[in-house]
This record gives sequence, structure tokens and C-alpha cells, in this order.
Amino acid sequence: MIAHSVTTKRGGQDGFRDAKRQLDICNSCRYCAGYCPVWPALERRTDLTPGDVTHLANLCHDCRDCYLACMYTPPHEFGVNPPQTFAEERTATYHRFIWPAARIRQSAVLATVIAVVAMAVILVGLALLVTRGNALGTSDGSPYSVIQHGLLIVLVGAPAVYAVVVILAAILRYWRFTSGSVRELFHGQAWMSAIGQAVTLKHQSGGAEQGCTYPDDRPRQQRRVFHEFVMLGFLLTFFSTASAAFSQYVMSALPPYPVVSVPVITGTIGGIGQVVGCAGLLLLKRRSERGQTTPVMWRADFSFLWALVVLNLTGLLVLFVRDTPVFPWLLIVHLACVIVTFSVAPYTKFVHFVFRVLAIYQNVLETRAPVSPA
Amino acid sequence: MTSPGWSQVASRLWDVIVIGGGNAALVSALSARDEGAEVLLIERSDVIFRGGNSRHTRNIRCVHGDDSEWNTGAYTGEELWKDLCGIGTGPSNEALARLTVEASQSAPEWMYAHGGRFQPPLAGTLHLGRTNTFFLGGGKALINSYYRSAEAAGIHVRYETKVTGFEFDQNRCTGLLVEAEGGAHRLQAKNIVVAAGGFEANIEWLRRYWGDAALNYHIRGPRTNDGSVLANLLEAGAHSAGEERGFHSVAVDARSPKYDGGIATRVDSIPMGLVLNKNAERFYDEGEDIWPKRYAIWGKNIALQPDQIAYAIWDSQVQGMFLPPMYGTFSGPSVADVAGQLGIDPDQAATTVAEFNRHTAPDARARFDPSGYDGVSAASQPPKSNWALPVDTAPFYGIPLRPGITFTYMGVQVDSQARVQRVDGPAFDNVFAAGEIMSGNILSTGYLAGFGMAIGTVWGRIAGKEAALNDRT
Ligand SMILES: Cc1cc2nc3c(=O)[nH]c(=O)nc-3n(C[C@H](O)[C@H](O)[C@H](O)COP(=O)(O)OP(=O)(O)OC[C@H]3O[C@@H](n4cnc5c(N)ncnc54)[C@H](O)[C@@H]3O)c2cc1C
Ligand code: HEM
Ligand code: SF4
Ligand code: SF4
Repeated sequence: MIAHSVTTKRGGQDGFRDAKRQLDICNSCRYCAGYCPVWPALERRTDLTPGDVTHLANLCHDCRDCYLACMYTPPHEFGVNPPQTFAEERTATYHRFIWPAARIRQSAVLATVIAVVAMAVILVGLALLVTRGNALGTSDGSPYSVIQHGLLIVLVGAPAVYAVVVILAAILRYWRFTSGSVRELFHGQAWMSAIGQAVTLKHQSGGAEQGCTYPDDRPRQQRRVFHEFVMLGFLLTFFSTASAAFSQYVMSALPPYPVVSVPVITGTIGGIGQVVGCAGLLLLKRRSERGQTTPVMWRADFSFLWALVVLNLTGLLVLFVRDTPVFPWLLIVHLACVIVTFSVAPYTKFVHFVFRVLAIYQNVLETRAPVSPA
Repeated sequence: MTSPGWSQVASRLWDVIVIGGGNAALVSALSARDEGAEVLLIERSDVIFRGGNSRHTRNIRCVHGDDSEWNTGAYTGEELWKDLCGIGTGPSNEALARLTVEASQSAPEWMYAHGGRFQPPLAGTLHLGRTNTFFLGGGKALINSYYRSAEAAGIHVRYETKVTGFEFDQNRCTGLLVEAEGGAHRLQAKNIVVAAGGFEANIEWLRRYWGDAALNYHIRGPRTNDGSVLANLLEAGAHSAGEERGFHSVAVDARSPKYDGGIATRVDSIPMGLVLNKNAERFYDEGEDIWPKRYAIWGKNIALQPDQIAYAIWDSQVQGMFLPPMYGTFSGPSVADVAGQLGIDPDQAATTVAEFNRHTAPDARARFDPSGYDGVSAASQPPKSNWALPVDTAPFYGIPLRPGITFTYMGVQVDSQARVQRVDGPAFDNVFAAGEIMSGNILSTGYLAGFGMAIGTVWGRIAGKEAALNDRT
């Protein structure tokens, strides 16, 4: 269900040259200094390198305030468009630092649907094989009656481990490119404030706490609020999985868990939160200005949002139909989605938060050091 | 809000029509609306480029106490008055200038109430942090908030509509001629506020006072500020105010566009280096002052040089101490090399710089302090009174400069109610003015950074209110 890769071949030299051209204009202007930390960070870099531009792009929270404030947006001949430029550079970031770089092409919607279907068929086959044909007849609400426990761990675990390894490698490569010293990655205090700023989306608030000018030309908090639904919802479902593992391995309580239990409650709230958040973000996105982002990022946002919707809806449905005969079928569909998602996650917009958190962390490091005289 | 069609706009008798779409116009429109008037605002530009010169601004200079969240200290009316008297030949009309100073005190609060937001001073402008209050995101963001407030308040806005003429019946404006969507229309209002800016983008007009030199000026704001409305009023018998040659100008990068380059093209390097003219000679004390009060001198200095061009030169000792020029710099291992790239005589440039260096103090480097007037001077010809380091450390840098005209002062004369005065008698009954178009009542030749927006805000409030209350039965 992850439809489009977010990587792009532009960026690169041409992308950098134009980003630098625009940001040099910004550096002689500096009107946007009050909106977000990108602008003070730009002032600290008067001779821009590709690493600088990558850092600034990932620090940008795409609030669009600067675009609305800028006297030089197209059709002005200076053609300044920071949110678009930064979107371009972010997709270049994802391309550059995720290794191995698999690029899912235009037909990715079809490809993912095929992948999910194929995975579902494989799962059905495996399930039937292992349970000697009984898998799809069970309705005791336990996943392990459908897919054997060890098999499930391997099927879901392998792509998850792959995703984690790829992302860890990306973190190191990104950090070396934008900042240099890996030792600088270990400042506990700075991490605390960085994570605080990231989780609250502090930099998507507009300079005067009025919110960002998205999707139209009025400041609003909607995008930030919906994103919090998605982010916190995601964390809750993550927590739900962890607590289920805890129940199983530490408390020796096997699923299905009762309705009033930590895994079910957190999973349900998290799932609903994500669906609501994604629906809100999708509605906003449709109304937003396409000229302030790139086509690649536009598609990546949409497909990531839809992916989360499908993932969470199937998850929620599995929960609600636990006691019915369709349970095994839905479970298989949901598991197929999960497996495909984990496999392709590093090549989607999913990775945005990894680089964003790093950029915020770097910004914290820079701003807590004594500021050099301007 | 859906705007009424042209037939509706034209058939209506508006309480107030405001001409212009910049700061002074919006403040006028909002103020008139606050008094309950039905207001139509006519802006010549489209939505993207709306806001005239105002969209390029960054701050406003107002009187404030030491409790201002956005300034680094208090700025009293006395001090602002003194500053105003200290520039050029002082205020043109003392009474109106005093009124402006006094009324500026309540401007920020009014701005905030109508959607304006502020931010701490920008880096590189710290010297203005006490006296000037910076707009969050700059002037275009301020104007955007005003347009949003105007829409919410029910003010009707017409973009891409140009006022082409006035109809008068003796002292009374009875009709307004406009062009829009390829057609001509006649509009009617009980009262008119003109806030259509200066004539800075009208090269032919500037040429009347400056000769062919005007052909080489760059205009920092939009080309639509051609003074057509001002011309209409003067033709209709309005009394002019202010000096013909009065304008604000700065040094801009000669590579910048002829119009609408805005803030990014101005050059900040001058006090830290030297400026040569076309003949590779120095012509003015580069270290006379840093930006705030005399921000304006370099535009005029260059305007008076042959071919209205000059070249800023500096060396690696001061590189990085000012805002980086947006078009980059020419650089090279010697002054002659850089001069060659700039297209001036390399030998003469090297001689001029060497001659200057001979006059610098032996301990200049030790005493040099870019953060304030350091008194490190050179008794060269002309002298340099501050920051006079020898320019001798490679690599060397240079950029070409032109005069960049910000706005013109000459406009229509007004009284304390912002009523436009006639040459041959009292005031027009129902025509008011605010902003650049009447700034000549206050500014003569010099300029104080941030005072253009103060004039527009103060006089927009007066004009809007007086227009709304005028003749009300
Ligand atoms: C680059 C730059 C930076 C500046 N920075 C500052 C600063 O930081 N602080 C400060 O105080 N001042 C600054 N100024 C000066 C300031 O811009 C002006 O003093 C102020 O904006 C004047 O406002 P106004 O509303 O009178 O005119 P404008 O903002 O110029 O508005 C004039 C309006 O009239 C419209 N118009 C013109 N002709 C017609 C017509 N025939 N029909 C209909 N509409 C018409 C125009 O489209 C425009 O919307 C700056 C100027 C420039 C160029
Ligand atoms: C914890 C750190 C995170 C930060 C700082 C962060 C920040 C952002 C920002 C600034 C955007 C808008 C700009 C852009 O499109 O890139 C965004 C978009 C998005 N984020 Fe996050 N995010 C975080 C975590 C997450 C998580 C955990 C999820 C869910 C899995 C998530 C889901 C999304 C989605 C779906 C979008 C697209 C929204 C849209 O297009 O309107 N984010 N994120
Ligand atoms: S985006 Fe535009 S207004 Fe903002 S700093 Fe850059 S050039 Fe200036
Ligand atoms: S879009 Fe918003 S977050 Fe991004 S650089 Fe502009 S002001 Fe900053």
C-alpha cells in the first residue's frame, strides 16, 4: 500500500545550486527570522554547503509561513520558494541516505497492491500448510490459530529488523554529511529538548503561535493537531504491540486479550487516532497549494497517508471481528499489509521523522552553544 | 467573501473609497470601517503583488516605553523628535511632524488589534532594535494580515483596478474613473482616501528633476508606483508638498533588476571598505556613519557620480562582517585584479587604494571595532572617519553599485485632518490622503528608517476616520 517512493534524482548538483541561489537571497533579506529555526540557522551559515542545505531542509516543518510572507515568490523573477525547495531537498535526503537505494517507480500503487495480494496468498498457503488446512476455519480470535506463532515472528520480524538496520545506517550517514562528528550524537540533555520539540511539533506553530498558513493563506493549527493524532496514535499502536509482547512473554498470557486490557485499549485508541489524523491531513492536503511542494513529495504524502489508513483500518477491523468467521481472512490481509509496510518503510515518507529529529537535535546543539558575534 | 460585480460596484454610492493597496490604504480602510463606513478599496496590483512598497518593508519607528516586548529599550517622543530634526533639513511642516511623532505611540497597539504581529529585531539590524519594531515575516506578512482583517470586517477589495482620473465639482470629488478587466468604470463615493504611494517608479517624472541620471536609477519597489494618482490630484488643483528632489535611496547591487528588487539587493559593506567611482577614485567618506540615520546617503552619493555607478571594494579582514551580497562577489588576489573584473581601470584602482592605505593609522588593526563608531580614521582625500583599516589583505572583494530609489517625498499638502489642500483656496471637501503620497508634509530631504510606515499608519488612521465621519448625517 506504500504507493510511491519519495526519492528523487534531482536535488543533487542542480538542486543544490538553485537552493543555494534562493537561500543566498534569503540570507540578504532575513525577514522570516521569526517564523522557525531554519532562518536563524541559515544566518549562522553564510557560505552554504550541500550538508547545510540538507540540514535546513529537514529542519523545515513545511508550515508555508515564509512563502506567504515572501516578496519574491514566483512569478517574481527571484523565484524564491523555500517550502518547495526544502521538499525537494528532503526527498533528495531520503534518496541519498537510505541504503540500499531501492527505487519504487511510478507504477508503485499497482506494485504495492500486487505485493499485498501476493503476500496474502503466501500467508494463506503457509497458514493452511502449517495448520493442515484448518487455519481459515478458526474463530477463537487468536492470531496463532491462523498463523503459527514462530512463523508470524519470522514473517513480520524479518522486514522490521531490515527496516531498523537500514534506518540506523541512514542516521549515521546523514549525520556525517550534515554535521561531521559522530561523537556529537551523544548529548543527553540536547536529546531531551530535541525530542520535546519534535513531539510537540514546536516548529510548526508559526512565529506568533497562530499556527501555520496551511492549507490556505490563513494561520491555523489544524495540520499540527492532526499530525499529533497520527504521531501519538502511531506511538500508541507501537506501545500496544510492545505490551502484547510483554503480556505474552513475561506474563505468559496468550492472545486474544480481553477488551479491557492494555494492548487492546492502546491499540484501538492509537488506530482510531491515526485514521482520524490521516483523514484530516488528507482533507487539508487536497486543499493545499501544490506549487509550494514538489509533485514527488505530494504523491509521497498521499500514499503514506493512505497506507496508514489502510494499515490501521485493517488492524481495527481484525479486532472487531475477532469472534466471527471472517477473522482469519482479515487477519491475513492485515498481516500482509504489515509485512509489506515494514519491507518498504525505509523507502517511503515514513523516514521523514528520523531526519527531522536529527535536524532538530543538531539545531539544539547549535543554539545552546554561545552564539558567535554576527 | 464574494465581491459584487462591476455593475453593482459602480451603481453604489460608497461611504469611502480608498485608492491604493499598501499600508496607508489598508490602515485607512480598516479605520474607516471601524467607524462603520461601507468601504471599497481599489488596488492596482493582483493579489500576489498587492501592497506596493509596503510589501517590502520590515519595521516601523514609533514612540514607546521600556515595557515594549519587541524593542530593546524605551524611545521617547522627545528623542524621536530630535532624530527627525537631525536628518536632512528637518521636518517640512513642524506641526504635522509633531502630530505624527505623538500619534505614533499608539500605532503598534492598533496594528496588533488589526492582525499585525511583531518579532525581535533581525540579525544584522541590532542597532535598530531599540527604536524600530519589526514585523513578523516583514511587510508583506503585515499586509496579508491587514487584508485578512479587511475581508473579515466586510471591506470590499478590487484588485487589478487602476484609478485613471477624478471628476470634481468645485471642491467636491464627484466621481472616480477606473480601469479594470479591460473596461472603464465610473465610481462614486461620499469620501475618497488617496493612499496610492509616490512616483518613484516613474522614470520620466524623476528625469524632470534629475536629468538623464534618472535613467540609471534602480527602483526598489514595484513599477506600478508611478504616481499617476498624485499627478491627477495635482492637475485637479491640489497643493503640492515636499521637495521635488526629495527621495529615499540606498546603494543597491548594480546587477539587481531595474524594478522591485526590494530589500535583498541593498548593500551593507560600505562602511567596512572603500567605494570607488567609474574613474576608480574615492569620492565620499565611507566611514561617516553606519546605517541608521544616514542609511539614505549612499543612494544619492552614487546618483551624483558619473554614469551613476560605483564599486564597493573590501578585503578579507572584514569579509563576513556584513550581510552577504545576494549576487555574490567578485574576488581576486589583488585590488587590480578585482577592479579589472568590475570593469574599471586596474592600475588607477590599485593606486587609489594604496594612496588610502598610506593614510591609515599604524595601530588601526588593534583599535578597529565594527560594532560601533571606533574613531579609527584615515586622513585621506576624502577622509574616512571610522573603520579605516588598510585594504591590504588578500583576497580582495568587490561589487558594482547603483542608486536604488526607495520612495519619493513630494506629494499633496494636507491639514491635520488629512484633508488634501488646494493651491487656490481651502481644502477639497471630501478628499483625504495618507502615506507616501503625503509624506512630503513631514519629510524634507533626509530619512529615518521605519518612518515611512509610521507616516502611513498614523495618517491612514486619521484619513480613514475623518473620511468616515465627514459629512455624516
Ligand atoms: C525595499 C524597501 C524597504 C522599505 N523598508 C521600510 C521599512 O522597513 N520601514 C519603513 O517605514 N518604510 C520602509 N520603506 C518605505 C515604505 O515602503 C513606504 O514608506 C510605505 O510603504 C508607503 O506606504 P503607502 O501605503 O503610502 O504606499 P505603497 O505601499 O507603495 O502603496 C501604494 C499602493 O497604491 C497602489 N496604486 C498606485 N497607483 C494606483 C492607481 N492608479 N490605482 C490604484 N492603485 C494604485 C499600488 O498598487 C500600491 O498598492 C521601504 C521601501 C522599500 C522599497
Ligand atoms: C517524532 C517526530 C516527528 C516529526 C518532527 C514530524 C514532523 C512532520 C512534519 C514537519 C511534517 C510536515 C512536513 C512534511 O511533509 O515532511 C510531517 C508530515 C507527516 N508526518 Fe510526521 N513527524 C514525526 C513523526 C511522525 C510519525 C511517528 C508519523 C506516523 C507514522 C508521522 C506521520 C506523518 C504524516 C502522515 C505526514 C504527512 C502529513 C501531510 O502531508 O500533511 N510523523 N511530519
Ligand atoms: S523567504 Fe523571502 S521573505 Fe523570507 S527570508 Fe527568504 S527572501 Fe526573505
Ligand atoms: S515553510 Fe515554515 S518551517 Fe519551513 S522554512 Fe518556511 S517558515 Fe520555516
